[in-house]
Amino acid sequence: MTSPVAASRRTLDPIDLAIAWDRLISITDEGAAALIRTSFSMLVREGFDLSVMIFDTRGRLIAQSRKCIPVFIGTAPVTMAHMLKRFPPQTLAPGDVVASNDPVIGTGHMFDLALMKPIFRGGRIVAYAMSITHLPDIGGMGFSAAATEIYHEGLRLPIWKLFAAGQRDETLIELIKLNVRVPEQVLGDIMASVSCLEVVDRQLGEFLSEAGLADVDELAVSIIDQTEAAVRAALAAIPDGAYRNEVEVEAFGDIRRLVCRIDKRGSAAAIDFAGTGPCVGAGINVPLSYTRSMALYTLKCITAPRLPNNDGATVPISISAPVGCLLNAVPPAPSAGRHVIGHFIPPLIFGALAEVVPDRVMAGSGLIDFITLQGRRPDGSGMTTTFCAAGGFGALSDLDGQPTTPGSSNMGGMSAELFEPESGLTVERKSLRPDSGGAGAYRGGPGQEIVLRNDSGFPVSVFSMANRTQFPAQGFAGGQPGACREHLVNGETISPQGRHELAPGDRLTLREAGGAGFGNPQARPASKITDDLRRGYATPEGAARAYGPDWPRRGT
Amino acid sequence: MHDGLDVAPRGGLRLGIDIGGTFTDFALVDSLGSRVGVHKQLTTPRDPSHAVLEGTLAICQAVGCSLSELVEIVHGTTLVTNALIERRGDRTGMLVTQGFRDLFDIGREQRYDLFDLRLRYAEPIVERGLRADIPERLKHDGSVLVPLDEEAVAAQTRRLVEDERIEALAICFLHAHVDDRHERRAREIAGALYPALHISHSADVFPYPREFERWTTTCANAYSQPLVDRYLSRLETGLAEAGFLGRLWIMASSGGLMNLDMARRYPVKLLESGPAAGVLVAARIGTAVAGGDLLSFDLGGTTAKGALIRKGRPFRAYSFEAAHAYEYRSGSGLPLQIPVLDMTEIGTGGGSLVAPDALGRLRVGPRSAGAEPGPVSYGRGGKTATLTDANLLLGYLHPDSFLGGTMTLDLDAAAEAYREQIGVPLGVDALRAAWGAHDMANEDIARAFRMHATERGFDYRGCAMVAFGGGGPLHAARIARKLRVPRVIFPRGAGVMSAFGMLSGAQSFETVRAFRRGLDAVEESELQALLADLDAEAAAPLGSGGATHWHRRFDMRYRGQHYDIEVELPEACGDLREALRMRFIERYREIFHTSLDEPIEIVGCKVEASAAASQSFSTSPEDENDGGEAMTGHRQAYFPAAGGLVDCAVLARSRLRPGMVVDGPALVEEPESTILLDAGDRATVHGDMSLVAEIATP
Repeated sequence: MTSPVAASRRTLDPIDLAIAWDRLISITDEGAAALIRTSFSMLVREGFDLSVMIFDTRGRLIAQSRKCIPVFIGTAPVTMAHMLKRFPPQTLAPGDVVASNDPVIGTGHMFDLALMKPIFRGGRIVAYAMSITHLPDIGGMGFSAAATEIYHEGLRLPIWKLFAAGQRDETLIELIKLNVRVPEQVLGDIMASVSCLEVVDRQLGEFLSEAGLADVDELAVSIIDQTEAAVRAALAAIPDGAYRNEVEVEAFGDIRRLVCRIDKRGSAAAIDFAGTGPCVGAGINVPLSYTRSMALYTLKCITAPRLPNNDGATVPISISAPVGCLLNAVPPAPSAGRHVIGHFIPPLIFGALAEVVPDRVMAGSGLIDFITLQGRRPDGSGMTTTFCAAGGFGALSDLDGQPTTPGSSNMGGMSAELFEPESGLTVERKSLRPDSGGAGAYRGGPGQEIVLRNDSGFPVSVFSMANRTQFPAQGFAGGQPGACREHLVNGETISPQGRHELAPGDRLTLREAGGAGFGNPQARPASKITDDLRRGYATPEGAARAYGPDWPRRGT
Repeated sequence: MHDGLDVAPRGGLRLGIDIGGTFTDFALVDSLGSRVGVHKQLTTPRDPSHAVLEGTLAICQAVGCSLSELVEIVHGTTLVTNALIERRGDRTGMLVTQGFRDLFDIGREQRYDLFDLRLRYAEPIVERGLRADIPERLKHDGSVLVPLDEEAVAAQTRRLVEDERIEALAICFLHAHVDDRHERRAREIAGALYPALHISHSADVFPYPREFERWTTTCANAYSQPLVDRYLSRLETGLAEAGFLGRLWIMASSGGLMNLDMARRYPVKLLESGPAAGVLVAARIGTAVAGGDLLSFDLGGTTAKGALIRKGRPFRAYSFEAAHAYEYRSGSGLPLQIPVLDMTEIGTGGGSLVAPDALGRLRVGPRSAGAEPGPVSYGRGGKTATLTDANLLLGYLHPDSFLGGTMTLDLDAAAEAYREQIGVPLGVDALRAAWGAHDMANEDIARAFRMHATERGFDYRGCAMVAFGGGGPLHAARIARKLRVPRVIFPRGAGVMSAFGMLSGAQSFETVRAFRRGLDAVEESELQALLADLDAEAAAPLGSGGATHWHRRFDMRYRGQHYDIEVELPEACGDLREALRMRFIERYREIFHTSLDEPIEIVGCKVEASAAASQSFSTSPEDENDGGEAMTGHRQAYFPAAGGLVDCAVLARSRLRPGMVVDGPALVEEPESTILLDAGDRATVHGDMSLVAEIATP
């Protein structure tokens, strides 16, 4: 972005716009990099559970860091609107930082703290910056689904100025420090988030002066309009109609139905979740902000996966759910583990649209298994750690599903060599789970089997929020479902949602769910089935069951 | 394509050779580190040793010396990089801890793109049928849970060799970085059965935790061993037959030099040695000219590379991703653990294809026209507009003086491509489109620098940039301006920088060891013994008396945190434990602005031993100035900061003399590259003939 703009102050041509647009995204990326580098939270460092954004002076999202997870699609503009309602522009001053972790107006759980900084130049607001980061702790019962009310889940902060004209609110800081388990780390991450906003502030200021722009508003109009037009064009290509789907999910001893109806008319879509069952008394209820994010994320995968994210992408899409249903939880319903249910929204929407845009959707995935372990290390010191393991990815209409790939969250697998000394447990095996990927013309990705042995010498508590244990990933167009997830202790199946004790020497076996297939299994060529056998994705017996004993005589 | 005899050779000649994708570059220097000659010739991909031998003879002939006068040849090769990308290594088997055979298929369980449902990952180097489960298991403290089944090792090795016809074997056991007894025993058994089999074991290749990365590295090492062995044998024989009597070194990815035994044992450490050599010479020249912190910037035909240099030393890293499987995307390749110079690489180069995306936004790269068919203006069948075509249209390159006039560029074809492919769809003229491509490339590279620096906590504002590579000098001043970097250094010989880099580094070797221990639980004597051991291990390949410096770094953490902080020990320090504690807390504070009330742990230790580097070093030819006027003329070139298409001064680099001042806008030409100075920039010719530009702030 150089001088042609500065020299003549003419309207941005497409090339100037592209360069300026990239620069705004690059500024948010740089802010995110600064935050990741100095963050204490493993979810932030390794899972990129954060987001950094720039808004125009009207509070519209125009640029978002590339390193972020789906939950941050679409929640921040809602948070922003509430913050500006509480603190209108005329009440903001240079050096202010507004904070909140309220799940209702935020990302659906209280671990995510949103900080917003108005960016001033020459005495007026020229843009807003926001960063959201998953804190290492927020008090309460910790990161689990064990709460039965939101009040068990930790400290809920109203919209408040963490900094007023550069002065930190020490009362608020003391309040936070007294309410969390690792105060230095939580405070460290909050201040890292503040520094990240300062990086964005400085870089944005440099950019505006370089480009000769007074604020970001002129750019915002072009960015939002172009994005909206591209999303509308992609939506217009989907045939009009009302598309429905429903799935059943396990909900801590209960079963709940999730229902969606997508009304696609012209270049707009409305998604409604009416018919979905009520909230449950465990921390897996999903606030609407999270529901909205996952729905927008899914439509983005379908319509314009490579488009940068901003408000233009969400304008043509409306999302609704009846208040109090599992997908529109309101206090006092607890929601710390809202991803357990929320991760079913993408397969729910993909399923609704499978017939009308088969080449854009993904068959069901095995999803991620997220387990918290608490006990003592062999030396007697306290131990709390998490173990993540992915199920298989679903197939596409022309592509086999990847083995063991996480979705929608993106926590990586655990290295046994790092996990064992940390936890005192031994990973006895970690192998593919053959035949767990659903058969199809394109097969689902296989899950895996992991055996953990408690060698710590102390009892270990296992907190588990597993899904896909009764309701497998569903295939499309004749593709077969994936295998269900199973948890076992010493060979006995246990309930996959809740708490279990591992005595010293006990073995915990995790069988991760497979992804579903796409298309009729009879259409899978023999050469690909042979390849599945060679890769350990299938056994000869499993292949005979899935594709019929005569498959080797099939054409290739 | 060589520049002949620059000066009379002064004894003890050293030859640097860099094999690139298109050209193999040669640089000859004398015992004082002064340039004697350079030479370039086409790479011979089928057998790279062919071009090496031919070029060595050619440059010796040109400067009038015989091969026997060369005391040293230092050589960098892309052989291993290409073997991994094209999967041209030898059939490799793997012995692996029972229960973990599928680790490569399971992968790292992380998506590198959340929206793209079609993502793909690199195929494992060893296919599943060639991986054999071996009953054995150590605990993380090195104690034995399951003893090694020696019969299984013998039986599986026999099966893999006799039935599966493997040429190389990787032995990969869990926790071998803590205790390698099972791996070593398995190696003895397999080696006794098949003495000619190439065997690598993971504790030897890189003894650090994270099994996926360590085993991938070990398999890549085994896979390239036979290939590298054959290549080095051919090269050794060929050079000996031609009369070479000196020492032959291979440059490692860390910038250190390896002897042939080490190169044969650790071929995976040869990856990316060419780019590393470029960074070394940038560090050397930049430090001599400007001092302080530096950015190294290299722009070639297909990619741009950046590196950070602090106090004369390039940043290092211990992970490197090779052979990307999906659109050059980070995360889709093979994650390797090797010592490397820490570089950022993006798919922006002279051959990068330029086109609008679905939203009508102009994009440069990462797809490239490569050397074949090349840019449209090469007239070799390239049809899609490239960055080089834009630079030609903008007047920065001249149709008749490209590559020293050895190749004429087709300006009309380039203009046509920009008009049709970019101008028409975006509603702008060809010149505007070309400027867009040039500016977008600069923006992309500036972004890569910003991210790389920010991720490492490096403040680039205020440091100097060293620019090289065929295209670096053309883009550097404008990228520096975007970054608010105030100074750019343009060394001589930018087009053959890596070949010079082979000679600028010191011989060095690095060794690492996992050593997980609470800082309070470890005895001072234990730490001293560890360091003495690692010092000796690192110095051994340098020969007796060879090592003069040791860099000792520890990876440390607070217990329970999942990330390591690297702490460097001063060369001389008293109480090691206390020094480590102090350094750790200090470094931790620098990053996190706090310290924790938690026990501190040591995770591992890295020691690099190095020999003294040559005293002086110069890439500039002496006395090539023919005494003519430096300014060779003017041509129309696009400088928006000066008002658009302006009459721009063109200077000949070879005629510049120390102390001369060049004001932008200006183009300074040398055979392999052109320096662009923008309006407001002012450059001075330094004593070593580098051009040092002060960049105007935007």
